[in-house]
Amino acid sequence: MTATTETRIGQPYLAALRKKLPHAVLEERWQTDDQVTVTVKLGSLPEAVATLYYEHDGWLSTMVGNDERSLNGCFALYYVLSMEGAQKCHVIVHALVSADDLEFPSVTPKVPAAVWYEREVRDMFGLRPVGLPDERRLVLPDDWPDGLYPLRKDSMDYRFRPEPTADNETYKFVNDSKVETTVVPLGPLHITSDEPGHFRLFVDGETIVDADYRMFYVHRGMEKLAETRMGYNEVTFLADRVCGICGYAHSVAYASSVENALGIRVPDRAQAIRAILLETERMHSHLLNLGLVCHFTGFDTGFMQFFRVREKAMTLAEMLTGSRKTYAINLIGGVRRDILGEQRLTTLKLIGELRAEVKRLIDILVSTPNFEGRVKGVGLLDPQVARDYSPVGPVVRGSGHRRDTRADHAFAGYKLIDMPVHTQAGCDILSRTLVRIAEFFDSIAIIEKLLEDTPTGPILTEDFAYKPYKFALGYTEAPRGEDMHWSMTGDNQKLYRWRCRASTYNNWPVLRYMLRGNTVSDAPLIVGSIDPCYSCTDRVTIVDVNKARSKTIAYKEMERYCRERTDSPLK
Amino acid sequence: MSAFISPNDLTVQPGGLSMAADVARMKGSLLNNIRRSAYVYRVDCGGCNGCEIEIFAAITPLFDAERFGIKVVASPRHADILLFTGAVTRSMRMPALRAYEAAPDPKIVVSYGACGCSGGIFHDLYCVWGGTDKIVPVDVYIPGCPPTPPATIYGFAVALGLLEQKLKAETHVEAEGEAAPLAHPSIPYDLRVQLERQARQMAGYRQGRTIVEEFLSVLEARDATPVERRIAKLAGGEGDPRRAEIFAELAGTFSRMLTGGTP
Repeated sequence: MTATTETRIGQPYLAALRKKLPHAVLEERWQTDDQVTVTVKLGSLPEAVATLYYEHDGWLSTMVGNDERSLNGCFALYYVLSMEGAQKCHVIVHALVSADDLEFPSVTPKVPAAVWYEREVRDMFGLRPVGLPDERRLVLPDDWPDGLYPLRKDSMDYRFRPEPTADNETYKFVNDSKVETTVVPLGPLHITSDEPGHFRLFVDGETIVDADYRMFYVHRGMEKLAETRMGYNEVTFLADRVCGICGYAHSVAYASSVENALGIRVPDRAQAIRAILLETERMHSHLLNLGLVCHFTGFDTGFMQFFRVREKAMTLAEMLTGSRKTYAINLIGGVRRDILGEQRLTTLKLIGELRAEVKRLIDILVSTPNFEGRVKGVGLLDPQVARDYSPVGPVVRGSGHRRDTRADHAFAGYKLIDMPVHTQAGCDILSRTLVRIAEFFDSIAIIEKLLEDTPTGPILTEDFAYKPYKFALGYTEAPRGEDMHWSMTGDNQKLYRWRCRASTYNNWPVLRYMLRGNTVSDAPLIVGSIDPCYSCTDRVTIVDVNKARSKTIAYKEMERYCRERTDSPLK
Repeated sequence: MSAFISPNDLTVQPGGLSMAADVARMKGSLLNNIRRSAYVYRVDCGGCNGCEIEIFAAITPLFDAERFGIKVVASPRHADILLFTGAVTRSMRMPALRAYEAAPDPKIVVSYGACGCSGGIFHDLYCVWGGTDKIVPVDVYIPGCPPTPPATIYGFAVALGLLEQKLKAETHVEAEGEAAPLAHPSIPYDLRVQLERQARQMAGYRQGRTIVEEFLSVLEARDATPVERRIAKLAGGEGDPRRAEIFAELAGTFSRMLTGGTP
């Protein structure tokens, strides 16, 4: 790339790494001025990641496994660290894993944040993290045959659907509690707005002692699809469909990863339009979450009101992109639609109305005594737990950490503006809700600012050529936190590897700690407060360990209990 | 993977359920004479949440499906209509079948969204079964990615037999000697391509198209005024500064190409 020695950000981290582990660093490669990939010896991998993580304010953003046997005969691992100390940049620790023994030393014992990533790479590539404490499947379904690793290049056709091996779930849930507990499974189907997920709460009376969950009920195989059936531009539309709520953030993250890899200079006007649409998406997503917080605290009037107002944000999105949800507006190198004078005026009018209406609703919400009573001091996320697991978005900002990709690693149109970051020190549901409220009004201010002096010029550049085996990161701050994409171009006008990590992926592992010590009736509220592209339940099975009996209760009953908090179904 | 592989060779079919004759008869008589509210249970079979949120939007104040008696319920045991979203991932096949079994007969199955109807963009992937009708019999399809709330309400009306599902199809048969008209035959092809490309890079596909058509129609107009003056008038008389900027760029390209320069 064009990065020169003078403009490179993050060199002190590399110097420190070389000093601490003198013989470990083999090579450094700069993708952009603030992205560097350091190749280390496989044996020093955990030490290198831990050094950057704990000694230099690094946070684990994602980990990418890659089957590079056709390139260099090995599998590769890329641990992506977002460095948020004095210099803000991304350092990617890279190590090669031999294709013969397929083993690598697990980073998880030193950096707990790596646990889900290492379980995933085990599922998808069959690499064995030695020393990984949790060896259950993460991504692949229970009925998937053993020894078939979908993302290996030579393992199978992307359309291959093996015979189901089992008709029942075989996942083992983990309970760390020392006392005898009762088991409360929730899920995977659920009434409100949600994607499936199966929770298991271990309770002692009304108190949650521990919790475990099974996600990835919706694993569809998008990464494999992007690598096999689609070209570069089509994947921007596929990325829109990673998530139905914050899909546009994924699309921007993917597009910028390819743009970074190839050194494409995207026109400023396109970057501003991307930022405007990202903020539009944030508005509707935060209103959705505020509505659901109302719903779970039994304040259904507020829920309906927030959804009424939210439709204005949907109208705005439809006016700007032609679609309420999947915007389909990104291409590699720019966007597909401009904001002309007429649309600019309509946008300003709509966000003016939104500001006034939401302000009224927020005033009502925070002055409702019942609301504060339900959310204050509930679902605490300890700042140290947050530090260990690298959660993102309002979840980490509600625990006092100043992490916001828009400010730390300005991308798209956020380079053009000063980005405020809101944090709250309460660590509870109230803090997370207040962060979202502040960010909603920021979104309006950002859109106004960007519409006031939008850069002129084109919105799309087509002046580039694809080069094989270039890779880089692309990132956005979605409503739920940082989305991190890593792309490597291939030699056949397709991606060689696309790794997409959604924000909620980083937030799930801390949920367990947030649930501990709370009452069962607060569980749906706490799960809701991480805004998990909603997940909950359809039925609740209560297993009383002492009496060795079990009892099933409808989810409706559980939700009713969360809202009314009378007549416990556990009795 | 060099040789052609038929997807059918790779794919195990999960084996769908069929409907008993008496259940079909019960369903027919229910739909003929439905005079009450219909309860809907949502089954997410691996959707991206886009469909789920749009269903949600359909029952909130602005669209308010409850005014038609359509209510979302918490348990399949209360449901008249089952709404399946998503491309049916492997993990969700058994939970979805359990929800289907739990709903009382006669039940109406609606397949919702592009993924539910056909598997959508994911239709042939290794970890999905490719649509609702691969595992349960479907009565009504509501397409869209995601379907808008009005489309959702329309789909419910179809499912309840309140409306007939209408498919609009027009077929054009080419007449003798019929040919597609050439666009802007009086403008040199290279010039038109350059202008269209520039308009697309400045204003995108949709708006760029409208803008360049306006520009080309000014070029083509049979008018005594010199073309430069007409173009200057187009850019100067434009009230929207962004459109004026784009017209000025197009005018620049036009004059550069007229004088034999590069665009």
